[in-house]
This record gives sequence, C-alpha cells and structure tokens, in this order.
Amino acid sequence: MTLQECYAALEGDYEGVMGRLRTERLVQKFVLKFLDDGSYDLLTRSMESGDYDEAFRAAHTIKGVGQNLSFNKLYESSHLLTEALRSKDIEAAAPLYEQVKADYAQTVDAIRAYQASL
Amino acid sequence: MADKRKQKILIADDSEMNRSILADMLGDDYEIIEAENGREAVAILQKQAAQIDLVLLDIVMPEMDGFGVLKMMNDLRWIESTPVIMISAESAPARVQQAYELGITDFISRPFDAVVVHHRVVNTLLLYTKQKRLMGMVTDQVKEKEKQSALMIDILSHIVEFRNGESGQHVLHIRTLTELLLNHINQMTDKYNFSKSDIALISTAAAIHDVGKISIPGEILNKPGRLTDEEFAIMKTHSQVGASMLEALPVHQNEPLVRRAYEICRWHHERYDGRGYPDGLKGDEIPIAAQVVALADVYDALTSERVYKKAFSHEKAVQMILNGECGQFNPLLMDCLRELGDNIQTAMANNEIRDWDDPSLLRNLTEELMQQVDMSASDRTLQLLEHERMKYQFFADMSQEVQFEYTVSPPSVTISEWGARHLGLEEIIRDPRHNEKVLATMGEESMQKLAGLLGRSTPEKPIVDFDCVIRIGGVERWMKIIARATWSKDEPPVYTGAIGKATDIHETRLKMAALEEMAAHDTMTGLYNHKFAKIRIQDMMARKPESNFALGIFDVDHFKQANDTYGHMFGDQVLIHMAKTLKRNMREGTVSARVGGDEFLLFFEYREHVDLAINRIFNSLIGNYESFPISVSMGVAKTQMLGTDYDTLFHAADQALYAAKRGGRGQFRFYDGDSTDTLSLISPIDGDTGKADR
Repeated sequence: MTLQECYAALEGDYEGVMGRLRTERLVQKFVLKFLDDGSYDLLTRSMESGDYDEAFRAAHTIKGVGQNLSFNKLYESSHLLTEALRSKDIEAAAPLYEQVKADYAQTVDAIRAYQASL
Repeated sequence: MADKRKQKILIADDSEMNRSILADMLGDDYEIIEAENGREAVAILQKQAAQIDLVLLDIVMPEMDGFGVLKMMNDLRWIESTPVIMISAESAPARVQQAYELGITDFISRPFDAVVVHHRVVNTLLLYTKQKRLMGMVTDQVKEKEKQSALMIDILSHIVEFRNGESGQHVLHIRTLTELLLNHINQMTDKYNFSKSDIALISTAAAIHDVGKISIPGEILNKPGRLTDEEFAIMKTHSQVGASMLEALPVHQNEPLVRRAYEICRWHHERYDGRGYPDGLKGDEIPIAAQVVALADVYDALTSERVYKKAFSHEKAVQMILNGECGQFNPLLMDCLRELGDNIQTAMANNEIRDWDDPSLLRNLTEELMQQVDMSASDRTLQLLEHERMKYQFFADMSQEVQFEYTVSPPSVTISEWGARHLGLEEIIRDPRHNEKVLATMGEESMQKLAGLLGRSTPEKPIVDFDCVIRIGGVERWMKIIARATWSKDEPPVYTGAIGKATDIHETRLKMAALEEMAAHDTMTGLYNHKFAKIRIQDMMARKPESNFALGIFDVDHFKQANDTYGHMFGDQVLIHMAKTLKRNMREGTVSARVGGDEFLLFFEYREHVDLAINRIFNSLIGNYESFPISVSMGVAKTQMLGTDYDTLFHAADQALYAAKRGGRGQFRFYDGDSTDTLSLISPIDGDTGKADR
C-alpha cells in the first residue's frame, strides 16, 4: 500500500498535505505518529464522563491535527463536533460524536493497513 | 545580537503532534522548547523570558489558554521584548483582532504550511533582533544628546554667572531648589500635578533665569555698594531682556523648554502682591514655574555671599523670606518652604558637584527617558537582568531557603525552584490568598497575619519578621519568614507586593523551648526551681494585686537522718516522692518549687479559709516512704498581712517555718509578726548535679 493509497482509504487529501509538508518522509512520519496521539482517547473518556469542556478541547485538537495532515473526512466531522461542543449543544454533539468515532476508526484502519505493508 | 547561539523558540500547544510538526518544519536552526499548556508556557517564560526569542502560541489549551498567556505576557511586560506568533484554526475575526490587540506579531492558521511557517518565524525574529539593537542604539544616543544639551545649558548659565562674579554654584542651587520645591508642592496639593518630565524641564529652564544679565554693564552688575535708582532701573531690565532674547530665537519657539524658560526669565522678579517687575503681575497671574524659581533665587541670594553682602544662615534666610523682607510669595510656597526646613540644606550639600559620570544621575535620566518614550528595556539591560536572575537562582538553591516574590496586582506569588519543590507547591501561583494548597500549607490565620504585617509596613520600615507553622507533606514545622514589602515610587507610595524568604527554624525552636524548660525546673524533682518560681509568683501578684495569696515553705522532718541511715540515693527518692505527692495534691494554679535541699515552696491564691487549704495540703504530705515515716514542718505567710513584696513574704514564711520547728516539728505555723528570730533554715541546692544538700 502506498501512502497515496492510504490517503485515499481514509478519504484525505494527499496532494494537499504534500504541498504543505513538502516531503513524503515527513508526511509518513506524522501519519504513523497519529496512531499514538492520545486526543481520541481523551475525547472518548470526557464524552462518557460528561466533561464537555475537556471534550471540546480534545475534539479541537483532533480537528487541528486532522487539518494539518489533511485527513479531510475526520477533519470535517471533528470540526462540526468542536463547534457543537463549543456552543454546549450536547444534543447536536451526540450524533456528531458517533460520526467522529466512525471516521476515526476508518482513519486508523487505513493507517494500520499502510503500516503493515511497509 | 551577533552571538552565535541558536535562537530559542517556545512552542505552546496541547497537541504533541502539532508541536512536533512545527518543530520539524523549523528544523535544526533553532532550539525548541515545548509547553503543553498555557501554565507551563508562563512558567517557562517566567524563568527565561529574556532568552526566548519567539513564542508560537496555540489558543485552545487546557489549564490556561493562549489568551491567558497573552494577558500575563502583557501584565508582566514580556510582550514588549518577546514576539508571539499565534497558531490556530480559530479564524473568527473578533478573536484574531483580540489577539492582535494583545500584542501578537503574526498569525499562522492551520493547516501548517512548512514554507509559510518558516518564513514567518524568520521574519519575526529578524524584525525583533533589529528592533532590539536599534532600541539599544537609540537609548545610548539619546542619553549622549541629553547629556550634551544639559552641559550646554550649564556652560551658558555659567558664562552669565562668571560675568556676574557669582560663585558658579548659583545655577546648580537654583536647579536643585526648584526641583525640591516642585516635588514638595506635588505632595502638598493636587493643583499642579507636575510630572517627572515637567519637573526636569522647569528646573533645567531655571538655570537660565538670569540670562538677560548679559546685557547689563559690568560696573553695575558688580558694583560693591548700593545701586542708585538709575542703576537699579537698568539692572531691572535683565528679566525683560532675557525674555526678549528667547523670544527672538529664530527657531525652537514651540519647544516646551523654551516656553518655560521664557516664563521664568521674564517673571522671576514678579511678586505675589503685584509689587514685582517688569509687568507687576499679581497672584496666580504669575506662572507657577516663575514663582518657584523666584523663591529659589531669593533663598540662594540670601544664603550666598555677594559683592554687596555676606551670606546669611539657612534659618535667617527662611525667617527673612517668611517675614516678607524680600517681597510677598504665594502662601502655598511659604508653607512649602517651612515644611521643607532643613531638607533644603541637606539637598544643597549633596548637590555641590554636578558630575555627568555619576551613575545615579544617568539612572534618573534613563528612567525619565523610559517614561517619556515608554521604551522597553534595552537588550543590554535584559542580559544584565538575565545574569542577575541566574545568580539569584543559584544562591536561592544553595541556601535551602524558600524564597518568594509576591505581587498585589495581579495577585500572584512566585516561589524559588527549590522552595516550591520543598513545599510541594507550584512555582507560580495566581491569587495565592484563595489557593487551597497554599492555604493548607500556611494556614489562613498565618496568611492573614503576614498580609496584615506587610500591609501595615511603611516604605521607611518595609521589613517584616514573622514566625509561623508551615505544613510540609502533612508535617508541621516552625518557619521564620522575613519579608520586605515593596512600595511604588508614587506619592503617596502604594504597596505593590513583597519579596522574602522562609527559613526552617523548627529544630532551633524546639531546642530553645527545651532549654527554657530546663532552666526553669529543678532537674531532680521536675518542680520549678526557686529562681523561676519567684518570677512566676511576682507575675501572679502583679496581675491580681487585689487578690489574697499565701506562700508556704516546708521541709521534711528528720531528713538528715534518712540520708544518714539509708544513704543519699534513698534521700533523693524521698525528695522525688515528696514532689509527686505535692503535685498530686495541689489545686490548679498553685506554684510549687524546690527551693533548697529538702525545702519546698508552694504559693496559691485563696478567697477565704486559708487555714483549711493549708491544713489539707499539710495532711496530704504526711505518710510513709517505704519504711521511713514522713512528716513536714511548714511556715506560711499571707499577702493580706505583708503585702506583695516577694522577699518580705519569703522571709516571713521562713521565720514561721523556724517557729514550727522550734515548736516540735510536724506542724504548720502562720507568720504572725511576733517572731524576732531571723535565723534562716533554708539551705541552698548545691551545684548543678541536682543532688540534695545533706
């Protein structure tokens, strides 16, 4: 699996990220590093415990990282979740959180598959 | 900053991913320091703000967000020397504007573009490096200029004096006096509110008040005798002439210095009642600057020697001015002169020589400059500060003392690195008086006491010494806090905070307490010794002079026999037994002591029936120790009869005891005044061994 195929699988923008980070080495490094990022765990924990301030920050971080790495699908859902949590609209946040969960799983699956092929 | 050290960039972002993307983009050209929240970023800045060349700051972070960091950077004025680039996906215009208002230099929005990030960082760093260097150069230049123009004024006014045959100190005196008067007027009234630069301007302009004398013929100027009316009329033109000279300046007409100098030249001979010259202005028609210089001029003329007069003393000069012998002055200025009193002489004496290499002079000037231009510290200053900070931290760590710095606004306390670790507190604590951990460590009461002491200190006596119990890791320890309150230079001064240190004095204090305890007690029986009992008794009587007290002395009958028959060890045991029995049977508030070999003392307050009380104690002391039968003889003296002099009471009880013994032992007697026998039975306790006298 190539990095480009990985981006296709997680519905990201390969050209975009290459345009900004310049080298495939750098992109690869951060894509793999994404697997270790704790923000998603934090999001899960704080959504479950009802700590919406913390959840907001976690979603915001996922959004930021997703944006930096051009994980467009994950970026968009986490962006919507961030805005819902910012305005403390818990009702709206619930389905958005489900979407982020699904997108995160899709992203991580794609990266793992890519990692396995290295 | 041509040094080769790598520039330091602080990246504050809660996402490790984002930090490392940025770090990678910046490459190896910079030293990167990372902070994962705002509080950490502030802590790092607190330690090394002067060394950090750039901050990349995220907005949304736990603990303290990016705006919180910016606010602190503004409060503590770091923002003036450390540029900040904000990084965030936040692009709401209001937020962006808020960030710019808080002093950020640039904004980088996500997603990061390696080239953009790199260029913005490089540009910002270049800009600041240049700005810092330029600021340093400008400061130096302005200082040099300022020095030269003040020198020119000194030379110019000295030429006038030289022609005048005056001492050469006149200009300096006028300048000093004017400054002193203006500062004091500020303290007396809000009417004028001279700023520091107003005062500097007026006192500088004051130096050329007599510039018009250049036009007065030398023979009039230096005539030893009294001037004729005609000559005096010519002399009087100098104020008008000086003003005209300034008015005729082809340039600089709008300079504040020139306008002030004009007022002073023209009107420094006007008087408050309108009887001065040249214009006969009255009261507040005369500009205050000219009024002040007029007073300074008169005072200095009186206290200096002139061709036509000797110098008067300070007291005489003030008296003459207050009496109106030199014309009427503003009543406010009269009060001012009166209040300043001897301060004038001191100030004059301290200012005899004007030396431009005097560091304090340059410091004042620099302060003035900083105020005028609101310039932030130059690069060199920052390096010096950094060096001081390093020194301070080293000594702080070595000393094993908790050192701290408290600021009232914003309320925060900074604790030295070692101190914070030792106390288990953060190094920087905002609002410490409401911080739970701080309250748990110091206790609310101690905190309020310390705050009270500091708040009540004065700029003259700013040092506060306070012992209190501090809880460290759940264990209470005595600590001595010595702190110095800091006061602003405003009038009146404002309490701005404190610096101080806390030293552990727990062991010392325990030792002192143990020593005090030891010094007060007889080592064998644990009762008070005579010396301490006397102090306690005198204290009790002094507190309640109206109460009735009884002082009893008793000894163990046939004690010598017990010693001789059973040995000294046994004798000691008997004494210990007596002490225990006595303690067991004493009412609360009774003082008991061992005052001699086998002699004991007791002292208590009573309402009535002192005989019953004595009887009860007497009987409780009778018994056996092992096979040795114990009885005592006791003498008692009452304050009711003898008053509250201790030695009198003691002597009387001693005599009553002697009477009891002569009466056949095993009894008690009250002192009744009859006894004429003054022989004392009391034997001293020998040495420090605690052994009873045999």
